[in-house]
Amino acid sequence: MAQQRMPLWAAEADIDEDVDLHLAIGNYGQNGHYEDAPMQQPQIDEATLMAMQQHMAQQAAFAQIPDVVKAFIVHFHQAVLDNNLAEITVAYESGWNKYTEKFYSRTEWPEAEVIAPLVNDDPIFLILYRELYYRHVYSRLQPNIDDRFHSYENSCELFNYLLNSEGPVQLELPEQWLWDIIDEFIYQFQVFCTWRSKVKSKTEDELMMLAEGGPVWSSYSVLNVLYSLIQKSRINEYIVAQQEGKSPEEIAEIVGEYGQRPLYRMLGYFSIIGLLRVHVLLGDFTLALKVMENVELNQKSPFTRVTACHVATYYYVGFCYIMLRRYPDAIRTFVQVLNFIMRMRQYHTRSYQYDQISKTADRMYALFAICNALSPSRLDDNVANISKERYGEQYAKMARGGEDSLAAFEELFLYACPKFITANPPPYDDPAALALLIPPSPTDSPTQTPAPLPSVDPTHRHLSLFLADVAAQVQVPTLRSFLKLYTSLGAKKLANFLDADEEEIVQEMMLMKQVSKSVSRVPGSEKGLLDGQTITTSDLNFVIADNMVHIAESTIGRRYAGWFIKNTERTQRIFDDLRSTPLPQPPKTAPPAAATAMPAPAAGETHAKASRAGGQKVAWGAVKAA
Amino acid sequence: MASSWISPPTRTELIEDLVSGVDRYNPSNVSILEDYLYHQIRSEEYDCLANLAILKLYQFNPELYNPDVIVNILLKALTASPLPDFNLCISLLDERPPNVNTDEPDPLPSLLPTLKGLHSLLYRCRFPAFWKAYRSEELENLRDNYTVEVVGFENAVREVAIRAVKAAFTQISTTRLGSYLDLTGADLEAYIRKLGWTIDPSSSVVNIPPNPDNQIEATVVQESINLPQLTKVISHAAKA
Repeated sequence: MAQQRMPLWAAEADIDEDVDLHLAIGNYGQNGHYEDAPMQQPQIDEATLMAMQQHMAQQAAFAQIPDVVKAFIVHFHQAVLDNNLAEITVAYESGWNKYTEKFYSRTEWPEAEVIAPLVNDDPIFLILYRELYYRHVYSRLQPNIDDRFHSYENSCELFNYLLNSEGPVQLELPEQWLWDIIDEFIYQFQVFCTWRSKVKSKTEDELMMLAEGGPVWSSYSVLNVLYSLIQKSRINEYIVAQQEGKSPEEIAEIVGEYGQRPLYRMLGYFSIIGLLRVHVLLGDFTLALKVMENVELNQKSPFTRVTACHVATYYYVGFCYIMLRRYPDAIRTFVQVLNFIMRMRQYHTRSYQYDQISKTADRMYALFAICNALSPSRLDDNVANISKERYGEQYAKMARGGEDSLAAFEELFLYACPKFITANPPPYDDPAALALLIPPSPTDSPTQTPAPLPSVDPTHRHLSLFLADVAAQVQVPTLRSFLKLYTSLGAKKLANFLDADEEEIVQEMMLMKQVSKSVSRVPGSEKGLLDGQTITTSDLNFVIADNMVHIAESTIGRRYAGWFIKNTERTQRIFDDLRSTPLPQPPKTAPPAAATAMPAPAAGETHAKASRAGGQKVAWGAVKAA
Repeated sequence: MASSWISPPTRTELIEDLVSGVDRYNPSNVSILEDYLYHQIRSEEYDCLANLAILKLYQFNPELYNPDVIVNILLKALTASPLPDFNLCISLLDERPPNVNTDEPDPLPSLLPTLKGLHSLLYRCRFPAFWKAYRSEELENLRDNYTVEVVGFENAVREVAIRAVKAAFTQISTTRLGSYLDLTGADLEAYIRKLGWTIDPSSSVVNIPPNPDNQIEATVVQESINLPQLTKVISHAAKA
């Protein structure tokens, strides 16, 4: 694709040469001569001098830009001016990446000021350009503090333009880009917070800028943007109206002039997902699910078109459920999206985001392993098998329980958890308080009272909460393995087996009972992701009558129906294919195949019937033994 | 999370607006929510989401920080066990920079490990150990300054124990139950009677009425197929 497009831009580059010409010439003249000027003429006042130097530097930088890139930028700009979504998409998804690989894999793209002449100083395009510019810096290079501050300012300018222009702006951008804008905004917020919280390795300049940073990347400012986009677009009202089956006219009235435009509607929806993510990063798992209360988690919604968004949504929702100890809900969430990813794989591999998606999927397999160890389920053997394939060793340890399992839980949690952040900066504006945070030289005797500043990073705070939950139930697998052998058993005998105190064991049994229940969403019957009912999650049930433990085990009968349905469908597909294939010898009249319709199996009744019917029809085409 | 947890019937409209709206971020509303917390403490009500909203404001506005409020929130969350409320609160307690200009010492850093310890005992159903720790000399400060203000705190702990007992037992000896409830003699009997449970006078074993959790039954789960699962097959057949 990208290769083919090359000649197009190359061709346009020739035309654009005219525009560039005088600049290039001017540049040429300066290279040898003006560079020395400042030395010889020190009387030029400093501001002018700086301006001149800057101007010259810019022109020099401009001259360095390869012509194809200049042409690309001009073309990109035109596409944005025309609101030509197809062209913008091509430039955004393919052109930008192509030239990044070719020219800017290790350096920044030209600065916006440098390319400004190419786009007639179009401020909107320059904001969008900077958005890409900084994203590239963050993903490929090491952003310095100026980049961090400027990328924030640029994001603010962009959101200001979208939110505070007079009425909705006429701009149109591809959905993928809109998602990337929100996604990147939160990503940059997250890396800034992480970077900011490390007090030690800061230079004097950085300390000063951080002390005076004010609202830059503050939690409030980030939330403000997301909430403003949600409110402006009336996305929640839109979703509700859709669910209520309102007509397009009614919906248009409800959502207003902003919400009618795809740009705002999509930004609004992505902002809900963004909020979900920000709240998770800040450790507020209930609020994270609460902001999602109108969003229906299913694969039919038009919002699932942006795969990266879809995948992120499920990842964060699933993670929230883990922190709410709702492992069955977490499992269901991960299974849904992991199956989705498997089905979509063929399309992803071509997408430039495939890496990111498959990394997130991998983390979800790890989280799935955690949940499945804590609350075994047979919801989806396919996902369970892949998860065991990837994390077999850890899974075996986790499922076995005991103290050894904790290390495996910790390993997978740290690998798969979100990058938690702290809402507030260290006290950069208070040098005295800050000094306390910088650890003294390591020569301090370790015998001293534990340092008063065990500044626990947020990830470890959440980890320790999670591990405390897990540690509470590490004995459960052992208990369970004993109980499975009996239908009734004296508590004392059980205690002897385990070499433990009888009262201790009885209390452990209460805990076991407690963790074999969980709050879970009952599909279809509730609204909102927080809602749910208590369900039993274990197949092993027991009850204590005074000192006697009675045990009952539930077993799952063999499942035939799914197999039959799947195979019926498959057979039908084969049959359809066969029927639509032209017969090899056309002359004689083909038999009227459509005549024999398959008998519809009665509801919930024997599937053998359905499958036999399918079998008969297959026999018409080719003999295929089941 | 039952719907009464998401939105307790005692929650007023004003609080509902704060919990569910954008106004929850407005620091000037913190006193309304704090008052509501103290109302919960006085009248044995509980509203986890409203209390989390206070912690959220503290998280974003460190200057609002009030350790007493936090301790009270944690005490309320403690007795919600086995729901994850306590952990949800701790999740929001960001690390605070050391306070340099201390006028008064911050009680939270020293109380936090204690509260976490109590929570762990409750969550793991180690009720006798909980009472022992709770009554210990080291926790005098917590009892005298905090739990004493939380009306019905000890009974709320007992309810945690009752929830666990109800699910796991059909019969339990009075001694064992007493050790879980930290009650003996007439107090225990009165408590049991109030629950509507009966004591067998000869064996002094308490009978616990049947409920979904203490009724066990070996079952074989059979698959059940609903019509919608077959729509694809049927509709295809109809088309063919």
